Amino acid sequence: MNALEITNLTKTFENVTAVDNASFEVPEGSVFGLIGRNGAGKTTTIRMIMNIYQPDSGEIIFRGKNVGQDFKDSVGYLPEERGLYKKMRVFDTLLFLSELKGKTGKDISKKANEYLKRFELLDRKNSKIEELSKGNQQKIQFISTILHDPEFLIFDEPFSGLDPINTDLLRQIILEMKDEGKVIIFSTHLMDFAEKMCDNIAMIDRGKIILNGELDEIKMKFANRNVSINYEGDISFLKGNPIIENMEDFGNTTGIKVKKPEQVQELLKLLVEHNVIVKKFNADEISLHEIFVSQAGKEAANV
Amino acid sequence: MFNRRTLAIIKRELKAKLFSKTFIIMTLLVPVFMFGLFAIQILVYSVSEEKNPNVLIISETDEISQKLKNELDQYSEVKSGNYKISYETLDTTSFALRLKNLRADLLNEKLTGIVYIPKSALINKNVRYYSPNPSNRPLFDKIKPAINKALINIYFEGKQLTQKDVDYARGNVDITGYRITKNENVKEQGAGNLITLFLFTFLLYMALLFSGQSTMHSVVEEKGSRVMEVLLSSASGTELMAGKIIGVVITQVAQMAIWLLPIILLITTSWFALPADIIFQIDLSFVIYFLFDYTIALLTFVGLFATVGSIFDNSQDAQSGVWPLMMLIIFPFLIAISLQSNPQSSIAKITSLLPFTSLLVMPARLTLVQVPMLELIASIVINLAVLFAIFPLAGKIYRVGILVTGKKPKWSEVRKWLAMKA
Repeated sequence: MNALEITNLTKTFENVTAVDNASFEVPEGSVFGLIGRNGAGKTTTIRMIMNIYQPDSGEIIFRGKNVGQDFKDSVGYLPEERGLYKKMRVFDTLLFLSELKGKTGKDISKKANEYLKRFELLDRKNSKIEELSKGNQQKIQFISTILHDPEFLIFDEPFSGLDPINTDLLRQIILEMKDEGKVIIFSTHLMDFAEKMCDNIAMIDRGKIILNGELDEIKMKFANRNVSINYEGDISFLKGNPIIENMEDFGNTTGIKVKKPEQVQELLKLLVEHNVIVKKFNADEISLHEIFVSQAGKEAANV
Repeated sequence: MFNRRTLAIIKRELKAKLFSKTFIIMTLLVPVFMFGLFAIQILVYSVSEEKNPNVLIISETDEISQKLKNELDQYSEVKSGNYKISYETLDTTSFALRLKNLRADLLNEKLTGIVYIPKSALINKNVRYYSPNPSNRPLFDKIKPAINKALINIYFEGKQLTQKDVDYARGNVDITGYRITKNENVKEQGAGNLITLFLFTFLLYMALLFSGQSTMHSVVEEKGSRVMEVLLSSASGTELMAGKIIGVVITQVAQMAIWLLPIILLITTSWFALPADIIFQIDLSFVIYFLFDYTIALLTFVGLFATVGSIFDNSQDAQSGVWPLMMLIIFPFLIAISLQSNPQSSIAKITSLLPFTSLLVMPARLTLVQVPMLELIASIVINLAVLFAIFPLAGKIYRVGILVTGKKPKWSEVRKWLAMKA
């Protein structure tokens, strides 16, 4: 069951096609990663999902209905470019942004206090936003995103600029929300992070979706020709071998790509035959980073 | 457009503007500032009068000198010794010589000025005034009536006229203005009308410029602080714009009502007594019309200023882009002020019906003359029509503009926004 279905989405600015015929689905209860490098079209896609931009063509369906004001009310959005009213007080800010979503009353005040306490900002509730540090402003922005208890969350680079302790706190809260069955979309260019937290991803490059689906499946698909090894000895004999497509030295580990999936066993045999001491031979692990580089590179080569 | 989100934005605007220290300070400061402006003018005029002037009056005959001395001795300034006036009698040729000798005294300000009254003045009243600064008239204007009186007295002496005849001839024409209106009796017109003209026109002008500018800067700030995208994730651009403008309009109309409170009390109660020649022609319906006109003007101009603010992402760029709008306020203001000379001129009539200008000119005209009801209604309808015509366009620019940051957009690009899907 998909919470969000995006079909053939296109948006052009002047002469630049920011999003080009993009289609992907976000399943219910998943943590979804929209990944791609800077300027790939992530923010434009999200703005169209948020109904801030109107798409030139294409459809965005949320639980069977076109996205509109109903969707806006049920979503919490943390934009990449953060901003709050500088002269407004912390508590007023939280209540105001919640009121815009249609949530007011004692429950919201109580929850706001709880979150402030959790983020150790309760003593600053009457401070003006401009009096807070950047990191603290970001925490307030995060609270304002989730305070109205949205069913759907969109975070654009949520951890940038946070210290490790608060990053942990944020991650914990995000996981809690996942357990409550909320749908969470991350947009990020940090592959490691997406790999650790996402169930599903869509990879966007130059406005086009170049990969899309369950992260495990994607990794499986790419893994069967990729091997990462730790070893002692000399593997230079592999260079120029007809079964090897590509070798990449990552320092601790070396990634080797064979030409056909069935050649993985042959590679292991070759290594043993050449007296290389194999400490680790991993035939199903491939990092999202590697997948991204290979796919985005392929796209670039086609252009 | 009007829903709980718009309402939440209006509430926030009111909280930030109406219930703020700035509001209280501005409400108090503007009247002080306005009175200050008038006070400075009066001060400058009074300072421009010479302190302890020293004047030499030279006449061609003793008779003129004597008569003039009699007149001038009655001046309080002379009695108190503030004016020092000396008299001499010289014919034209010796006067020329005397003047040469006195040049140094005039230049080093020992002497403020020399008045020369030749015998011919008894025929043509032509008098000369010599001074390093002859255009400094307050002093000369002060002694002029005395000279006139002395010359007239000499001229009519021995001409078989009674003092009454002389007094009549000497008297100036005194004009009392009576204002003719459609439904009321003829009313004596006083200085009150000019005061109301200046008061209301200045108030309108300053309040429009101030609220327009401050709205523009607050939109630029929202854009600059990137709070816009957060707001847009909850509300539409149109709702944001409507909420902001309505918030500003409520705040400004409330402020204007506070400023007008003394005037409302003045015309509806007898708590204050004014000098007899200051008669206010305006009544409560004018004040209500004025507030209504101000509301339309605010909606129009604040909307336009907000739109300009949405185009730019820093205050300097916005300031340079806003001057055509400022002209739409400054130009009608100048016309409105100039109405005092003729509120029924064709320029006054036309500009009190044109879009934008009529917002300032029509209330100004109303302080001076009675405008036919049809013209008044026409100007209101025209202004409302303009308001409804420009709002959708302004809204389109606003919706696109608030998301555009980075390089300063060209006007041609802004024109394209009108055709763009937001």
